[in-house]
Parts: sequence; C-alpha cells; structure tokens
Amino acid sequence: MRRMDADVAVIGGGPGGYVCAIRAGQLGLRTIIIEPDKLGGECLNYGCIPSKSLITVSKLVDRLKEAEKFGLKTDGVSLDYVQMQKWKSEVVSKLVSGVEALLKGNHVTIIKGSAEILTKDRIAVTTQSGREEIPTRSIVIATGTEPIQLQGLERDGQVVIGSKEALELTSAPKRLLVVGGGAIGLEFACMYQKFGSQVTVVELMAQLLPGSDPEVVRVVQKKLEARGAKVFLGSKVTSLTKSSGVAKVELETPVGPISIIADKVLVSVGRRPRTAGMNIAGLGIKTDQRGFILASQRMMTNVDGVYAIGDVSGPPLLAHKASKQGIVAAECIAGLPSAADWRAMPDAIFTDPEVASVGITEAKAAEAGVEVKRTRFQFSALGRALSTGETEGFVKVVSRAKDGLVVGVQIVGPDASNLISEVALAMEMGATVEDIALTVHPHPTLSEALMEAAESASGSPIHQMKI
Amino acid sequence: MTYEFKLPDIGEGVSEGEILKWMVREGEQVNEDQPLVEVMTDKVNVQIPSPRTGTVARISVKEGEIAKVGQTIVVIEEKGGQPAPMPANPQPVPTQSAEPRQMSTIASPFSAVLAAPATRRLARELEVDIATVKGTGPQGRVTDQDVQSAAAGSRVVTKPPEDKPAEQAHRAGGPEELIPLRGLRRTIAERMLKSSLASATVTHVDEADVTELIVLREALKSSAEKRGVKLTFLPLIVKALVPSLKEFPYVNSSMDEQGGNIILKKYYNFGIATDTEQGLIVPVVKDADRKDVFSIAGEIEQLATKSRSGQLGLDDVRGSTFTITNVGSIGGLFATPIINQPEVAILGTARIEKRPVVRDGKVEVRDMMYLSLSFDHRVFDGAYAARFTTSVIETLQDTKKLLSAVL
Repeated sequence: MRRMDADVAVIGGGPGGYVCAIRAGQLGLRTIIIEPDKLGGECLNYGCIPSKSLITVSKLVDRLKEAEKFGLKTDGVSLDYVQMQKWKSEVVSKLVSGVEALLKGNHVTIIKGSAEILTKDRIAVTTQSGREEIPTRSIVIATGTEPIQLQGLERDGQVVIGSKEALELTSAPKRLLVVGGGAIGLEFACMYQKFGSQVTVVELMAQLLPGSDPEVVRVVQKKLEARGAKVFLGSKVTSLTKSSGVAKVELETPVGPISIIADKVLVSVGRRPRTAGMNIAGLGIKTDQRGFILASQRMMTNVDGVYAIGDVSGPPLLAHKASKQGIVAAECIAGLPSAADWRAMPDAIFTDPEVASVGITEAKAAEAGVEVKRTRFQFSALGRALSTGETEGFVKVVSRAKDGLVVGVQIVGPDASNLISEVALAMEMGATVEDIALTVHPHPTLSEALMEAAESASGSPIHQMKI
Repeated sequence: MTYEFKLPDIGEGVSEGEILKWMVREGEQVNEDQPLVEVMTDKVNVQIPSPRTGTVARISVKEGEIAKVGQTIVVIEEKGGQPAPMPANPQPVPTQSAEPRQMSTIASPFSAVLAAPATRRLARELEVDIATVKGTGPQGRVTDQDVQSAAAGSRVVTKPPEDKPAEQAHRAGGPEELIPLRGLRRTIAERMLKSSLASATVTHVDEADVTELIVLREALKSSAEKRGVKLTFLPLIVKALVPSLKEFPYVNSSMDEQGGNIILKKYYNFGIATDTEQGLIVPVVKDADRKDVFSIAGEIEQLATKSRSGQLGLDDVRGSTFTITNVGSIGGLFATPIINQPEVAILGTARIEKRPVVRDGKVEVRDMMYLSLSFDHRVFDGAYAARFTTSVIETLQDTKKLLSAVL
C-alpha cells in the first residue's frame, strides 16, 4: 500500500466534490479526491463559468448594437472569436488552479484517475501509473450527471453538438437548432442569437423551461421570438440527416411536420446520473427510477458510510446545491450534527432576460391547496431599469394569504440572478412580505422591484396603482 | 449457517454500549424480532431485537461488559430451510440506525418551522427536535433562546429516541415508573437547571442570634392579632433585611448579560419560596421597604393561601428582586439554595434552635439560626457577601437596629 488509508474518499472533483473535500480537510479528515478530468467539474470547465463568460460577451455585443439609442456611436462592432475563447479559457484555468491550490492547502490528496467502489470501505483507483486499491472509512459519490443521448441525435462534435462543444465554437453558426428548451438550451439559444445565429428551439413539453412559472417564461420566449427565433413547443425531432456539413431535421409539431436545415444542432434534452463504477447494485445502494442515488438529510445513502452529493443525488441539478450538500456530507462524516435543512434553493437561468426563482410558484401553491397572494412589479416602472435601458420583466412575489409568509419569488428581468439572493435569505429567516416591504432598499436599484411587489402584497404600494 | 450479530450503530455519536441484559441464553431458540439484548449507552437504553431466527450459539459479550459498535456480540446458528432467508454476503444489520432512508428534499415552505438557519443548526447541535419547540419570537418564530431552553428541559428528561423499548421497562409492574414531566415540575426543572448554568453560585453560611427577634415577635403578636394577621418570623426577617440590601445594593440587583451591565434595583420585592403539593412556588411581596411589618405579614399569609389553592396570578409571582427561602421548618442545619433568576442572591433561613454559645467568656443558651446566602460571584465577591450577611446579623441581634428596621 503506497498511500495511507483515507477517512474520506471523494469521487468527483466538481462543485460538490471539491467543496466536500476542502471542508473535510479543514475538519482534519484524511481526504482524497479522485477526478479523471479537470478539477472543478462540469460547472467550472464546461458549464456555469465558461457559458457565463460567453454570455457576457454576447450581451455586450448586443448592447453595443443598440447603443446609438443612447447616443453612443460605434463604427461597427466586430467580434474576435479566437480572442473571446482565449479569454474564456483564461477565466476557467484561473479558477481551476484556484481549486487545486485550495485542495492542497487543506491537505487533500488529489488523484487524477477514475475510481471504482469495491466495498463500502474500499475503492480502486486507476491512474496513468496503474490501478491500486485504497481502504477508506467513508466514500462520497460526487460523480455528477452526463447529457442524455437521444437515438438518432448522437453527438458527432461537428454538426450535432452538446453544451461542451457549444462553448468551443469559433464562429456563430448561421442556423442553429436547439433541441431541448430547458435552461441550458435556452441560454445557448439567447447567446447565439446575439452572436447572429438564426435560432430555432424545439421543446417536447408545452412550455419552455418546464417547471418554471409560465408568466416568466412568456417574457423570455417573447423576446426570443421578437428577435427572429422560431420556437416549437410540444414538438420533437423525427429524423436527422447530415449532408455536406449541414443537418436536415424533420420535426413533428402541433401544426404538422416541419423540415429545417441547420448548420449546428445543439442537443440539450436533460442529464442522467453518472454512476458507472459506483457498484450501485453490488452494495445495494438505493436509487430512484431514473438512477439518481437516494440520500438522507445527512447526505448518506442507505449504505453506512457511503454518501452521495450533487447532481448524482437527484435534481435540482445546481452547482450551489452540490456545494452545500458537500459541506453537509463532510461535516457529518466528521461527526458534526450537520444536515441539508435549507428552506430555499435559489435557481438562476442566464437567458435574456435572466430568470431566477426561489421557493414555490403560484401553481405549486394551488397544488398544495394553500391560499396565496400573488403580487407583481414590472421593471418598466422602475427608475433604475429605465436608466439602464433594460425594462423587460417583473418580480412576482407569492406569499401565504393568512400571514404574508414569503413562499416563493420569481424574477424575470435584468440581473435577476443577483436579485434572488435577498429572497433566499428572507425565506430562510421565515420573513413575511411586510418584512421585505419595511426593509429600506437603496434607490435607484433593481432591488426596489422586490420591495414594491412586497408592498403590494402587504397592501400599500407606492409606485403602483391598486387594481 | 452462522450469523454473527454485531452491535449496530444505535444513534449519533454512540460508539459503544454496556450490555445490560441478555433476553436469551446460549442454546435457546430465538425468533426474528424477538427481544435479544438490552444495551445501555451514555445516551439511551435500547432493546435490540434479533435480526435472525435460529439458535443462540454463543454470547460473546457478557452482561455488564462494554461492546463497541461493530463488535460481534452474539452468534446465531440459523437452521437450513428457515423461513428467514439469508443474503449471500451478510452486512451488519443496522436495526436501530438513526439514518432516515429518504431522499433529501427541500422542506415545504408551508410546513416549515419558523426559525433562522443558525437557530436550526443550534437545535441540531443541542439535539433538539426544532419541530417540537414552541417559538416565543414574532409570529411564533423559534429563537436561539427557545432552543436553549428546550435543550435545558430535555436534559432533565432523558428522552429515548426509540419509544418502544423504553415503554416496556416502564409498563405497569415494571422496574420503573414513568412520570411525565409536566406543568409546575417541568417549569421548576427548567428554571433550576437554567439557574445553575447561568450563575457562578457560591453559598456563604453564618449564624445569627435571634433571641432578640423572638422577644420582638412576642411583643408584636397581640398588635398583629388585632389587625387580624398572624405574625411569623418571615415578615420580621423581610423588614430586617431591607436596610442591609440598601447598604449593599449589589445584592439587590440583576445582571444584564447582553448589554454588559449590572442593574441595581432601588425597589425591594421579596420572593417568598413556598412549598406546595405541586412543588415550589415563589410568590412576591412587592415594595417591602414601603410597607409595615403587619401588611407584609398579611400579604405573605394571603400569598401562601393562594399558592396552595393554585390561585396565584401572574402578577403575584413576578418582579422579585431578592428571595428568601425558609428551609428550617422541616429540619436540617442549613441548605445551599439555588438563585431565583434573574436575581443574584437568595437567603436561606434555617430552623431556630437553642444552642450553647459563648458570650463574654461564658457559655449561654441562646436562640440561634443559620443563614445561608447563595450569591452570583459574577456580580460581587465573597467579602461583599460576608459583609452583607454580617450586616443582616447585626440588625437581627441589635435591639435598636431591629426596632428601627421593623417598625
């Protein structure tokens, strides 16, 4: 045995795994982390961070195009894709090396390789230098998810691509077909539309961003369509043929079959748990029907000492959720009374405009049979939104009718992703709409929209006529 | 087939347990789910059922011995063709595992207890089920303090996580009887523990010659009767204490921990510790400095009656600044009373007894009484407490001082 036995073996170096390992290291546990690819996982390397870098550029391009409205004259805007990609890669590698430094600084042993679980206290690691077995007191499965492949829509990396390739493009495809109108698909749809692509979105369900509030989604869809995109809901791809570098795609839509030519087809139809090598069957680890591992509030599976965090432990698939679960798992392994007991799990989608939500929607409240109040405030009535020229969208507050308890907020509009955190805190603290309404919000800021919507709910809006 | 039964993980943080009692003997037949063994840990006693049907081949850990979690404690020989099938690779069966087997989900915003994240964490740390804590904050919000009180309360009641095994021990005719901690007992339990944890308590003991006090009481008895009150020693002691409390203001104070202040109180409300059938109650005689001894006597009598008939109002029991507990009526030399929070001192008065004492070089028989002052050392020191007690004794022993204090 070359290495010492471990207290914790974290399998997967994404935002769940690396955070778990750092916390475990801080708590004095002998920790190893095994990652076959780059540290930081999907989020840092192929997801959140690189996509937000490119989306930022796309927004800038877009704003410059409309800059004349503000009196700003540009002599035509041109985008150097190579430079943009270079900058994006720098951002990513800076963060990845930061993660590595943090792991090392907390005495975590990093192993570049793939892991298999043999028993609940033994794993096997395969690296460039061979295979070895490591006894460990506990195991954290943080292997994440991988994109679902659709039959007939297999990625080839050229014409049919996934989100990973979509981040590496060095030019905007002339015609982009996005299959799957979820968060990932729509972010790319909005981004490439700004880079000049003619975008078509196909979604199997009856609305984009399934599960989100329909009023919110309408704002995003309207803008997408106003800029020339075609959106087919309740539709699916029936066939795809490739010839001379383009795809001919047949769609089945509620208005009949439609044929589309696309230079790139981005497939983003959901993700499935990555559990190969985790010995799920051998150890009898319980999963749900889709294969997501079931974990308790302490993030432990039904097998003592084996924990599961992040995407692999089920939706919502969010980096920040994975990180928090990683902390909980590490603390529980160290014997601390930690638990995944959050009330609010905020969600942000970087479409145009941005969508962010926390808690439940009106529809979910109705399902629960609880009487709620729903109040809205449009960004178009807000000084700050007008002064930045971003007036689409609104803040919607859902509160319990009997006492004003905030149970959910949906935001569609400028900087929604930053605005939602206040609501997450409010919900964790059990705040009412009055609490938010009575809290002074600085002027002129976008956050005033939340205050106004809360004021409406508590019955005394200033900048809104009562209907 | 041989099944080695290992001591399962009984609950959070428990790593070992004492084998209290084996319910089976070697060679005996045991059925699945039949009570097998009783184990005592530092937290709870649990009865563990047998995970298998078979014959007890060997008991590896005897009664009274300590077994570690994961250690084999009994070997069960399963017969072929038994109804309970055995997996090929037997895992230690977590019969009593505290791990819930459900998916971690976000609590519904409707059903959730109103409490801040840090308060929820505190509850976990103190092993308090926050759902059972009554919130005293706005809109019933559970505060840190509520959790702490609940934790203090539950430390008095040892709450077993598994109800079933405990119930069996407490069943009628069982070796233990279960008295639910309710009402006044629960309040006393919480208050007493809270007080012991809250103050740095020291008890200072001295004795007073109360011969003069007895004379005075005799002298005032008829006047009291005329006013329709019975004059005990208590109202006299209350009045005798007032000058000393004025002279030593820190004894009549409380501590404002949050603000970092000591609050000296310029009013003198006496808590009178009263023994009732349900337990200890401390009604309050307010503004004793501004009332004469007969009024105080009357009030004490009334409060005692109300206490015993359970008719005290909230106003009758709050606002005391200093408490007297008469521990002498039943027996004992002296006691070390627990401070009635948020006060900082309590005086225990013991039984009055004739004892030989030396006066001017001669042994004399005098009426003597022990005084025990429990005080919060955070607020004042032993020397201050001794000076205060000496001052009280001087008042009780000196006819002039006593008269001017009482009348």
